[in-house]
Amino acid sequence: MKKSIKKLMVLMLSVVMVIALAACGGGSSDGGSSGGGAGDGTSITLFNSKNEIQEDFENLAKVYEEQTGVHVEVYYSQDTVAAHLATKYASKAPYTINMVDAKDVYSLGKQYGADMSDCAWVGDTDYAITVDGKVLGFPTCIECRGILYNSAAIKAALGEDFDPASIKTLDDFKALLDKLVAAGMATPTAVLGPDWSLAAHYLQQVYEEREDPEAFVQALYKGEADLINDPKFNALMDTFDVLKEYNMFKAQGSNAEDELVHQAMSEGKDAFQFGGCWEWNDLLTYDYNGPVGIMPVPQNVQDDYTGKLVGGGSKYFYVDASEYTSEADQAAGKAFLDWLATSDEGKTFVSDTCGMVSPFKSNTVPCTNDIGKAVKEYVDAGMTVPNYDYDPDDHYSKLGIEMKKYLDSACTREELAAAIEAYWSSTTPVEH
Amino acid sequence: MKRNTLSYKVRQYLMFGGVGTALFCAVVIVPFIYGIYLTFTSWDGVSPHKPFVGLANYAAAFADHDYWLAMGRTVIYSVFAVVLINVLAFAMAYLVTSGVKGQNFFRAGFFIPNLIGGIVLGYVWKFVFNRAFVAIGTALAGGEQVPSLLASPKGAMFCLILASVWQYAGYMMLIYVAGFMSVSDSLKEAAMIDGCTPAQAMRNVTIPLMRSSFVQCIFLSITRCFVVYDVNLSLTKGDPYGQSIMAAMHVYNTAFTYKNYDMGQAEALILFVVCAVIGITQVMVGKKGEVEA
Repeated sequence: MKKSIKKLMVLMLSVVMVIALAACGGGSSDGGSSGGGAGDGTSITLFNSKNEIQEDFENLAKVYEEQTGVHVEVYYSQDTVAAHLATKYASKAPYTINMVDAKDVYSLGKQYGADMSDCAWVGDTDYAITVDGKVLGFPTCIECRGILYNSAAIKAALGEDFDPASIKTLDDFKALLDKLVAAGMATPTAVLGPDWSLAAHYLQQVYEEREDPEAFVQALYKGEADLINDPKFNALMDTFDVLKEYNMFKAQGSNAEDELVHQAMSEGKDAFQFGGCWEWNDLLTYDYNGPVGIMPVPQNVQDDYTGKLVGGGSKYFYVDASEYTSEADQAAGKAFLDWLATSDEGKTFVSDTCGMVSPFKSNTVPCTNDIGKAVKEYVDAGMTVPNYDYDPDDHYSKLGIEMKKYLDSACTREELAAAIEAYWSSTTPVEH
Repeated sequence: MKRNTLSYKVRQYLMFGGVGTALFCAVVIVPFIYGIYLTFTSWDGVSPHKPFVGLANYAAAFADHDYWLAMGRTVIYSVFAVVLINVLAFAMAYLVTSGVKGQNFFRAGFFIPNLIGGIVLGYVWKFVFNRAFVAIGTALAGGEQVPSLLASPKGAMFCLILASVWQYAGYMMLIYVAGFMSVSDSLKEAAMIDGCTPAQAMRNVTIPLMRSSFVQCIFLSITRCFVVYDVNLSLTKGDPYGQSIMAAMHVYNTAFTYKNYDMGQAEALILFVVCAVIGITQVMVGKKGEVEA
């Protein structure tokens, strides 16, 4: 009797483990499936790399399903975008629609993206990414960089309305900062410490704000650029010095926590910070006392690029056209993007629900994001300088270190210029 | 039924260990071997093609100056962390087995940090170093802002070591507690009767009999410290100026941030070999002098 109970238990345990194993296997293959159907309709997958709009995106997908019967499953990952998508391709189950950064369109999109030349939205935007004659990148929004200002904080300190147009040069900017200090705001600026802000956003302007950014970058690769005598480099670094000088988080320097920097701007404890419209959601996390707007980085060198914000299309979708995504799913993916750009629901989602600046001309839904509203004005007036999207992958991280040293006054401007030149001249040029 | 035949043994093994072995092969052995294969290719992580490049990735990894700097940093971090973890764990184990009042409470308390995941633990300590210590320091300095410990390379290394010691000491304590409990009281009593002081009994009787606990704890702490990533990411993220990037973080950055999957994979394998050689050597040396009670 005892023996048979033991045998039975061993048998049951084995069955349970085998079932568990089978369940694991089943789960993983279901997870990334891009084909197949939900109910009678088509089912496709979408990878969203903007965490802050995940819930809104899921709601939009439900609306789309109600209207068209096509199920769009929206995924998000905390992992690096490229790393996450690499695992999806390695498991032969890529998403149908993928939201990536512009430069990923030139690598991933070029390799796997479907040509969207025939889509309705293409003629409605200036920000699509075209590679070798194929339209591969669908722009989700426009994002620009510049100096964020808190008008309410400035008005509270000075007792007068702030007009960003009055700040044309660095001297104007410095004079205003001195006035703010005299009025009791001891530290009217803040500087974000992460490498993406310092190198990919601020330093990047040195390459972008000139007639031929590509030629300048090529000169850097060849070791022919002379940064320390470059007027643009010096103009931007002069402004950076001023931001540093009045920095609320001077003691912390590059170690200042982003949260504290955003909180100071949101609550009006300081007045200026270098940033962009993506910081809107961060600002709303705190006791927002705005409006917070954006203005071009003031510089003493006046050229065709000062007085403009730097930026353009951001967060691009490409539709997977690899062997793992069927023609029908590709068509469904393109149809969803068409709907996102042209339908009322799609337009409202981008500009109103998510507060992003739409890259599509036909989208006249007002943007609900204070910074976005200001960006939209610059975009509509043609006052923007385009992004340069072909940096090497380690650019922001390696030169971020050098910019952090400069922020912490751990190196001189000459040393910074030399380090930037050394980085570029020792790096293999990015093909594009 | 004959119990000493091969088929019986195989069947018994498959029944009890078959599922575990299959899972282990599927999630460890196969990816590991596949990973070794990838180090000989120039795969970009997404392409269906994996061109064979021979030893080029290893040559690139050996020439990667930053990798070896990170490796050097990892060795320094590991030496300090392993010594401190084990000294502290041993002391705590001694405390909670010595019959001190509330020893069960201490036992649970010391172990709790190990239950907190590395990422969360890193953020908690970041808050402590960046806000709490800075606030205390600023108050002591009469209102003048003092920089955070995390803002200097040596400070960041100190913070990493401290957080790791806090995390692992409680876990290692449990192994030492088991070691202490396995030493029979009669042996210690006999030593005392023979004229040993408590310190001499500890040094000459208890510690030699606990050698296997030391071997285990040191092995576990070495291997964990060498591949530290989570605390490194959440506490310092490599800052300041990339001076606290440990080997595992460098490997991750190379593969996924800089998208050099091939070279990153080769560097990961080198890290594994270094870690395995140190770990196995330590176990072999440690096991040699093991004594039985």
